[in-house]
Amino acid sequence: MAISAAGIIFSSLNDNTLSRLTSDRTVAAIPFACRYRLIDFALSNLVHANISNISIVANYNYRSLTEHIGSGKDYDLARRESGINFISPYSTAHSSSVKLFSTRLEALRSMKEYIDEFKEDYVVLMDTDNVLNIDISDVIKTHERTGAKITIVTKTIDKAFSAKRPRMMISSVAGKISDIAMSDTYTERNNELSLGIMVTTTIYLRKLIEEAQAHNLNSLTSLLLRNFKNENYRTYNYKGYVATVTSFLDYYKHSIELAKNEEARASLLWRKEAPIFTRVHNSSPVVYKSTAKVEGSIIADDCVIEGTVIDSVIFRGVKIEKGAVVRNSVLFHGTYVGKNASLNCIVTDKDVHISDGVSLSGNENMPFYVQKRRKV
Amino acid sequence: MYCKKECIAMLLAGGQGSRLYDLTKQTAKPAVTFGGKYKIIDFPLSNCINSGIDTVGVLTQYQPLALNEYIGNGASWDLDRTRGGLSVLPPYQGYKGSDWYKGTANAIYQNINFIKQYNPDYVLILSGDHIYRMDYSLMLEEHKRTGAACTVATITVPMEEASRFGICNTNKDNSIYEFEEKPKNPKNNQASMGIYIFTTKVLLEYLEADEKDESSSNDFGKNIIPNLLNNGEKLFAYKFDGYWKDVGTISSLWEANMDLIGDDPVLSMMDESFRIYSKNMARAPQYLGPKSTVTSSLVCEGCRINGTVINSVLSGGVIIEEGAIVKDSVIMEDVVIKAGAKVYTAIVDSDAVIEAGAIVGKDNVGKDGITVIAKGKVIKVADAAKN
Repeated sequence: MAISAAGIIFSSLNDNTLSRLTSDRTVAAIPFACRYRLIDFALSNLVHANISNISIVANYNYRSLTEHIGSGKDYDLARRESGINFISPYSTAHSSSVKLFSTRLEALRSMKEYIDEFKEDYVVLMDTDNVLNIDISDVIKTHERTGAKITIVTKTIDKAFSAKRPRMMISSVAGKISDIAMSDTYTERNNELSLGIMVTTTIYLRKLIEEAQAHNLNSLTSLLLRNFKNENYRTYNYKGYVATVTSFLDYYKHSIELAKNEEARASLLWRKEAPIFTRVHNSSPVVYKSTAKVEGSIIADDCVIEGTVIDSVIFRGVKIEKGAVVRNSVLFHGTYVGKNASLNCIVTDKDVHISDGVSLSGNENMPFYVQKRRKV
Repeated sequence: MYCKKECIAMLLAGGQGSRLYDLTKQTAKPAVTFGGKYKIIDFPLSNCINSGIDTVGVLTQYQPLALNEYIGNGASWDLDRTRGGLSVLPPYQGYKGSDWYKGTANAIYQNINFIKQYNPDYVLILSGDHIYRMDYSLMLEEHKRTGAACTVATITVPMEEASRFGICNTNKDNSIYEFEEKPKNPKNNQASMGIYIFTTKVLLEYLEADEKDESSSNDFGKNIIPNLLNNGEKLFAYKFDGYWKDVGTISSLWEANMDLIGDDPVLSMMDESFRIYSKNMARAPQYLGPKSTVTSSLVCEGCRINGTVINSVLSGGVIIEEGAIVKDSVIMEDVVIKAGAKVYTAIVDSDAVIEAGAIVGKDNVGKDGITVIAKGKVIKVADAAKN
């Protein structure tokens, strides 16, 4: 039987640790991998599981996000029934102050009446700062088969990581969650990192929201911590590639990894049965001139390449002039690199102009960021 | 439902394009790939939407499956509309019987009721055979200004090629006094582009009359236009001077693709003020590996290149393995060129596979020595020797 599930995407959690990239956009709208924004991965994962009732929770700074998603047509989500629905904080006739959602639970509480109307059996909750291309229908099937109350998708970590904020680390015994800890370092015991994807039944989600209300809990994490010992909460261990973007450095490293690492590209971008959808721009194919020299890079449409590009990620509409050399860099939409300019370990935001002969260099552990529309 | 439109377009997309041989065996000519990510039909359809024409009938007949699938509901060109939009018009069975489209004029005749439901003042007749960017609204303005019954778009062609076209002989004010279909001794080089704007009333009248004439071959160039002239109707030429190319032959299709590349290309797809729209395939960004060389080429989304690409146009999803060389060639969707294979001066249709070490085509032979590899064909080392 076909799976009947709804999706809820939290688009603006954890904005604060990505300061530069999120100064005027939400996490979900951060450009990634040449032609996508982070939310494209969450949306495509849901669409490939035939989920068409998708709520996007957005706090603020969501203009670029709504523009990007539009009617949902490019994701095949412009439907008569359901489709995409934006949930944002609102004021009422009786209370003019708007309180932003600071946790997933606050958002869920505010949309409780809407969730009460869901006809779908299951709900998939997703964040957008874990970028992966996962078969969600298999997660739901596994959830169904194991009889879990909640299934959390995790990735086993085998080495230390430095996160800008505490991450949910889990340990499990034969799939059943045996411990949950909020931690910013790796421990051997809790070595499964939560990927921010949670599956449950609509009925159980409603019950959780009511329980939180009754006990005055304000985060999903505190609910999980309260219940996991007595309930069948389970993990779904994901083996593919994940880019977890908690900091600017994470963002940079994962971007360059896509240019350098075949496995990362294959897992995230090249799954034949699961292409990533994004907004369409009707751009021209890439034009390579006679002096172009490109090694180990991924490049989006509408670019004109006359110079040299090595180990880099080039977004739409970038122009690289003759004699320019771009290495280990991420150039956002509309970046212009003038003649004989040289960039190394640089991230340029949208529409940056690098003049002829300018040389900029960062370090792979401290890449240099050039803000939107800046002329250098 | 009554829905009046000032001008609607009728796009003749049923032609076989027999001179494209293998490329149109399974596909109608308008659905042939051009410039990497485009199909020939993207050009007239994009021209329509860029000219403010939002109602287009697409007349199909020959091998319509790929074309129908590509066109869909017209959404790619913003032509999925509640009022008007794009309609595919195949031949159909009627009360009195059924008929294939016998000629260009007969195809429009059979769809007179489609035209009538929009009650347009003008009808634009287009074909799906050419590569060009044109603002039809300027031609319509001219048609209204002159008060013509019919306006024919013309382009200057080299005198020695004029006898392959329908030639318009005009007075100083661009009014046409004579129309010669493929004349042996052309009097000038103003060739009809096969683009006509008719005042609807005149069009319907002449289509009805043409249908009754049993000796007619039901063709616009051969019958309708000469009949209008013979009856003293006002015909004007509208001179177009942009890029225009008939891509009806292997060599012209290859040449038009080559026009897109080089340091100063004749034709550019980058013009943001006049975008050519095409269907989005949601492919990944292109990847050029550490050992790749790509120069003077056009490359689309989804390509993965580890070999050498020179002077070529690559459609989406093409894979070129290490050590492979592609030169002066047009490679269509999802072709795989394996390690060490070499492709020179060729058009390789979609889904073909050139096996490791195979050699296709000859180097430096130009437009008269083009090798064509059919859709889905697998070329092994032994086959390649025969090419």
